[in-house]
Amino acid sequence: MSSTAAVVGHQSPPAHLQVTGIGKSFGGVEALREVDFEVARGEVMALVGDNGAGKSTLMKVLAGAIAADQGSFRMDGEPVSVATPLDATALGIQIVYQDLALCENLDVSANLSLGAEPLKPGWTFLPRFLRPIDEIEMEVKAKAAIDRLQVRTLRSVRAKVGGLSGGQRQAIAIARAVGAESSVVLLDEPTAALGVAQTRQVLDVVKRLRDTGHAVVYISHNLRDIFEVADRICVLRHGANVATWRTSDTTPDEIVVAMTRGLEEGSDDAI
Amino acid sequence: MRSDSGLSVGQRFRQLRETRFGAFVPVMLALIAIWIYFGIAEPAFLSPRNFYFLFMQSAVVGTLAVGITLVLLLGDIDLSAAATAGVCAAVLAVLIVMGIPGPLACLAAMLTGIILGFVQGWLVAYVGIPSFVVTLAGLLGFQGLMLKILGAQGAVNMRDPFVRSLTTVSLPPMLGWAVAIVCIVVFAVVVLRRQSQRRQRGVELESALALWGQIGFFALILLAVVMTLNSYKGVPLLVILLVGLTALLGWITTSTPFGRSLYAVGGNAESARRVGMNVNYIRIAAFAIVGLMAAVAGILGASRYASVSFNAFAGGPLLLEAIGAAVIGGTSLFGGRGSVWNAILGALVIGSLGNGLDLSGASAADKLMFSGAILLLAVAIDALSRAGSTQQR
Repeated sequence: MSSTAAVVGHQSPPAHLQVTGIGKSFGGVEALREVDFEVARGEVMALVGDNGAGKSTLMKVLAGAIAADQGSFRMDGEPVSVATPLDATALGIQIVYQDLALCENLDVSANLSLGAEPLKPGWTFLPRFLRPIDEIEMEVKAKAAIDRLQVRTLRSVRAKVGGLSGGQRQAIAIARAVGAESSVVLLDEPTAALGVAQTRQVLDVVKRLRDTGHAVVYISHNLRDIFEVADRICVLRHGANVATWRTSDTTPDEIVVAMTRGLEEGSDDAI
Repeated sequence: MRSDSGLSVGQRFRQLRETRFGAFVPVMLALIAIWIYFGIAEPAFLSPRNFYFLFMQSAVVGTLAVGITLVLLLGDIDLSAAATAGVCAAVLAVLIVMGIPGPLACLAAMLTGIILGFVQGWLVAYVGIPSFVVTLAGLLGFQGLMLKILGAQGAVNMRDPFVRSLTTVSLPPMLGWAVAIVCIVVFAVVVLRRQSQRRQRGVELESALALWGQIGFFALILLAVVMTLNSYKGVPLLVILLVGLTALLGWITTSTPFGRSLYAVGGNAESARRVGMNVNYIRIAAFAIVGLMAAVAGILGASRYASVSFNAFAGGPLLLEAIGAAVIGGTSLFGGRGSVWNAILGALVIGSLGNGLDLSGASAADKLMFSGAILLLAVAIDALSRAGSTQQR
């Protein structure tokens, strides 16, 4: 396993979010060791690795859900600190967890504004949580968010989420993350439970995110999806970097080998 | 937009239930069916006098049911609401016997209710005891507390004119009509203004049928109720109070961030937590509001029975009728679905059943079995419609 090749290289676009030397231990288990990772605006960076490779831990560190033991964060070159989810949100980093966390009993627009409902002007004599919600503004915003992602199959922003398909739900969870003024979107296994058509819909949404200048981090086990949407692929193994490849310069076989056995001698395609 | 043609009746019914006013439909149909049945079996049932008493009888249960709806929305339950009402009524009675003026004693009773609810909410939220257990303990403990406050006889008479007036005063007929017409005009203006704002902002519009249907339906019901009540004694103050309180809570639950958070926590607590809602505060606030509504129910009960007795509040019937009313109204025991208005309709269903069976000379045994069957039916509808909505995925 060569560690020099593992460092993100000179050909890559300027990083929007960059972390270096991330380390995290849970008790005696070292989940992440000296991990470097970066993602640029307008790119989809796939994060792959076998179970237990540290993908999810790295994702949670990026989202501030877990504080790293060591390592540094940079946004557009500036050092920043991300220790809590609020820090991450303030920096425009949003995560879409695998379980989506949507309220099925509420409609699409309510889900998109959940926790940050637009309020009608006036009514300042009432505490914030008792002021009337501006439902119309909420629907306008929801419609804009859905249109940006071009979720064409969605009939109405007033449909209850409970009646939507898995792909539509995933799209709404992504729209919620994007709606909150975000520049980095972390997607955890967004197509894991979906059928072919639904997967297509989600991949289209991911491409739209890239086209609108977001930095997208995409965790998946499904190499076919990854080779379709990702610009670069970062492989982790046993909590450490293996290497990062440009998708166009590599093959699924090479990635599988890297995931399971690490970097082989003579593999010089890594960036 | 796809066309909706070719949907089965079941799907259409489910879609209807999803709309803003659609959740009313099943309980409304049940209520009408019950009224038609008893109207044929016992013509006296449909007399204005009987309706007047029906509304009065349903008011205490309705108040409790409206409160309980809030914790049901969270997916919790409050078994202590009736006992809390009893404690508050006892506090009220004892304070009035001590010579405290009625309005002040009412405030003290309401404060008592809020505190009892707050403590239970805190135990649920922070100590992490399931609400079922906390409020079961509350049910037992508060019944004891009520006995202690009332003293050895277990009953105190209520002669305070202020408290009595809450359930004895009726509006003069003209005032009743005036209130109804003002309500209808305000409702129409609000609905039409919302529609014109929607048109301006270019968002989906309500269909014209739904729009005018809402207004017509609202006007029809209100005018029918006022006409019926006016041909006996006029609209009782109690009904105005209850509708006013329900409207306030209805507005809070559907149109404010706090209300939205109740539904969000009931639908997916993890989701609510991740978007930054403080789930513990929301739980405590909901239980405190139930405490407040229980106190109001206690005051109304004391006023209506002209006494505060252990038997009127303790034991099962009042509590079970209140929970039954909320559930019959279509509020889900699984959390996240329901409405306070439906609780009022549910209370009317329970009240009508009791009243109608009384009129037709049914025994206590029949009444209990009937109520049980209705409750079971309501929960079955809830469970089935829940299963239906998850199958659609």
